[in-house]
Amino acid sequence: MDCSEYVDKFLSAHADGELASRERRLAENHVGGCPECRTRLAEERSLKVLVRQHTNIVKVPAELRLRIRAAIGEMADPNFIGRNFAPRGQDSDRQLLWPVRQTRVWAPVAAAAAVLLFLAVYSGRSGTPAPTTQFHPVPVFDLAITKYDSLASYFVPNVPSDRNGSDFAWVMDRESGQPDAGMREDIGRSYSEADMLDDLFNFDPAGYQLSGGRLDRLADGRPVTYTLYRGTGNAILDIGLKDPQMSAPVGAVYWIGMRSFYQYKGYSFCLTFSPPGHFVSITLTRAPLTELIRDVALADAVATGDDR
Amino acid sequence: MFEQVALPHLDAVYTAALRLTHNSDDAKDLLQDSILRAYRFFDQFRLGTNCRAWLLTILYNNFRNSYRRRSREQLAATIEQFDHQAETRSLVDDPPVRNPEELIATRMAARRFEAVLNSLPSEFREVLVLVDVQELNYQEIADVLEIPLGTVKSRVSRARAMMRRAMLKGAVSRGKTGS
Repeated sequence: MDCSEYVDKFLSAHADGELASRERRLAENHVGGCPECRTRLAEERSLKVLVRQHTNIVKVPAELRLRIRAAIGEMADPNFIGRNFAPRGQDSDRQLLWPVRQTRVWAPVAAAAAVLLFLAVYSGRSGTPAPTTQFHPVPVFDLAITKYDSLASYFVPNVPSDRNGSDFAWVMDRESGQPDAGMREDIGRSYSEADMLDDLFNFDPAGYQLSGGRLDRLADGRPVTYTLYRGTGNAILDIGLKDPQMSAPVGAVYWIGMRSFYQYKGYSFCLTFSPPGHFVSITLTRAPLTELIRDVALADAVATGDDR
Repeated sequence: MFEQVALPHLDAVYTAALRLTHNSDDAKDLLQDSILRAYRFFDQFRLGTNCRAWLLTILYNNFRNSYRRRSREQLAATIEQFDHQAETRSLVDDPPVRNPEELIATRMAARRFEAVLNSLPSEFREVLVLVDVQELNYQEIADVLEIPLGTVKSRVSRARAMMRRAMLKGAVSRGKTGS
């Protein structure tokens, strides 16, 4: 083998480790006796390193990563009906996700979808789909139940629920005897200052009143919010946390956009993904699932002004 | 299973999508389409093979079928153009080169290296990125690009030769300017 043959036919494949054993032996014999080709091989390998160094791997934006994970959770779930509410895309896959350029409209779309679902369920045109896949329990659901059992019976708020920061929950308006209208906003502000999701449900139309909020830490140090709503005979607890890795478990009874609904151990769950910030909201109650769907639909309708 | 096997490659696949589309919105669309398609056909993936290569094959197919017309690429279209551009660039603001070792160690590591790489005709740049950055073997690259194995070999070889030539031209031109 001469230098010209080595450079033309072997050099790159040699540097890339792509030579078969016989070719590699020939190439190594030549390089072993040729300082010039040894230098060329070293340069070729330097080029490989430089190309790698100068071509950065770009991280996927967090919200896109979360949206993909949520969509995979939806596709894994045969009970998924959220696609019925997503904007039409180019094909069936695209209908599982809202197009990237429309990420900011997801909340209103989900809210509108919730109202549609609520109307469908309660007008008798559509019942709860019979589950064809068993729910795969995830530890966070058991933790949520433990929290619900303790907080629903004894809840001590620890974030201010008035503008002065001096009162905590159960702040009643003296004239109406109802909770202070600014309470939700003030608790939300406290959550926001702790870099947590500040969207609180308004379950007033569903007959629940906001009891207050807690800002705690999970065992691993992550902040978590607990917001409790009390109704007649039942309570709803909303747990807010950040979890970029979490995707929706298989076995949802309903899907409404980023919200999925589950039944587990006698509790009704609503799981909500909020892509900006990786927030996950776990809303649970002892009330039947159809009631939770209705209550969430009503709250979403209030949030988007659809109740007017 | 899909999440454990495929999602660790998300960043690498997104990087490839960006290089193909030159547009972050298109890249996001292309990525999510491709990953969901991969999920639907995950039963066709053979465990133990290179999942990144499989995902990139889907991405490139998707790009060829749906996105190519949307992509906007303003790169050197021919090798001659590339060589001309490389020579022109070298007249601008390169540091002095004292010897070939320095050429490799410093000049090629400078910002200019990136410019040269990015100016390679796309079919040559593509194979270099797939082999050196995505760390695919030649057969995997052939599958991703739907070209014969021999073409991959010759493109890699020619791409590196072009890079080397561009660097050397830079050095010679620099000497000519006498600065």
